Amino acid sequence: MNAKQQLKEGVITNNPVLVQQIGLCATMAISTSLFNGLGMGLSVLIILTCCNVVISLIRKIIPEQVRLAIFVVVIAGFVTIVDLLLQAFVPALSESLGVFIPLIVVNCIIIGRAEAFSSKQSVGASFRDGVFQGLGYTVVLVCMCLIRELLGSGTIGGGLFNGANSFLTLDGTGAGFQIFPDTYAAGAMILPVGGFLTLGFLMALLQYILRKSAEKKARKEKEGEE
Amino acid sequence: MSKVRDFLKPGATLLVVAVIAALVLGLVNMLTADRIEAIALETTTEAMQAVLPADSYTDLEVEDDGEINSVYAAAGGGWVVEVTESGSQGTITMMVGVDETFSCTGISITDSSETAGLGAVASQSSEKGEAFRAQFVGVSGTVSVSKEGGEIDALSGATITSRAICTGVTAALEYCANLG
Repeated sequence: MNAKQQLKEGVITNNPVLVQQIGLCATMAISTSLFNGLGMGLSVLIILTCCNVVISLIRKIIPEQVRLAIFVVVIAGFVTIVDLLLQAFVPALSESLGVFIPLIVVNCIIIGRAEAFSSKQSVGASFRDGVFQGLGYTVVLVCMCLIRELLGSGTIGGGLFNGANSFLTLDGTGAGFQIFPDTYAAGAMILPVGGFLTLGFLMALLQYILRKSAEKKARKEKEGEE
Repeated sequence: MSKVRDFLKPGATLLVVAVIAALVLGLVNMLTADRIEAIALETTTEAMQAVLPADSYTDLEVEDDGEINSVYAAAGGGWVVEVTESGSQGTITMMVGVDETFSCTGISITDSSETAGLGAVASQSSEKGEAFRAQFVGVSGTVSVSKEGGEIDALSGATITSRAICTGVTAALEYCANLG
């Protein structure tokens, strides 16, 4: 399996959120400001990559019957390590992501990739899988954050920037750039209902694009035959 | 015999993995525990300085009632109370400064997980957030939102968050009044 194909799968054709539809709970809950989306996406990317590598390393000694228990131990271990390191060295980020980091333990993207991929593939391929699947997750989160934040509170970059004095705020307290006054914003977009709507539209859009490109490919092949 | 081994091998492997994980976690915890504690202390002190500046604070013993976490007596008179209230998404932890006449000298929200763009504004360093928190300076007695006839204008779309903060401030003021 080559890296380019894996990248395409992770971000588009086998995107964890939009195609595999796993890890949706956290996606709904946190995609309300850019800061949260980026932070959560990158944390998942790092933890997923670490777990994939370790599980791939020990895949030959994991007994079939207890594989899920072992996956959970490895995942929970890495999540706790990342949580402690963030608290000690990047307290600002840890404070804003406080709620979401422990949630990664129950994020089925990681256990899903362990079961479906890294427990069967080489270490190198598993490492790339972790990075690319994590990237796919991050991209979707960022898209959802941008849409929901803009429509729901009329801002861009909430948490990351402070629009009033255009400072980069890394502690998640910035209010973002106000694009239009929040009195005109659809508040429902940052509530759970907005999450479902945004996710549904993004899924439909991706399916549409995938179908169009498949049709195009099929047409090309047909022409080639003639 | 082979049956016993069928049980033993998975169990033993799981045990080994769990032991290794525990060892690594213990090690990371050892390396980070002191730093984490120091950072927590620094954050607390900063929040206390923001609501009621003083040279030093003495930690008073409180019984944990699920609302008042801790009370500090400020060197120059007055108290700083750490209160936890349930907001709309989770708990909100705030520092409330109380002066000797039992009115509030300011609040600082140290931990919350309210809805971004609505309740989260309460803890933001934005203009709106500052303005919301500034309303609490000087209030006393029972604090409530204007919808209930009180003096605090709730954040739009975040009545539950605003109410929770009012309840927290009220609890802190009441606790100090009973102390004094």
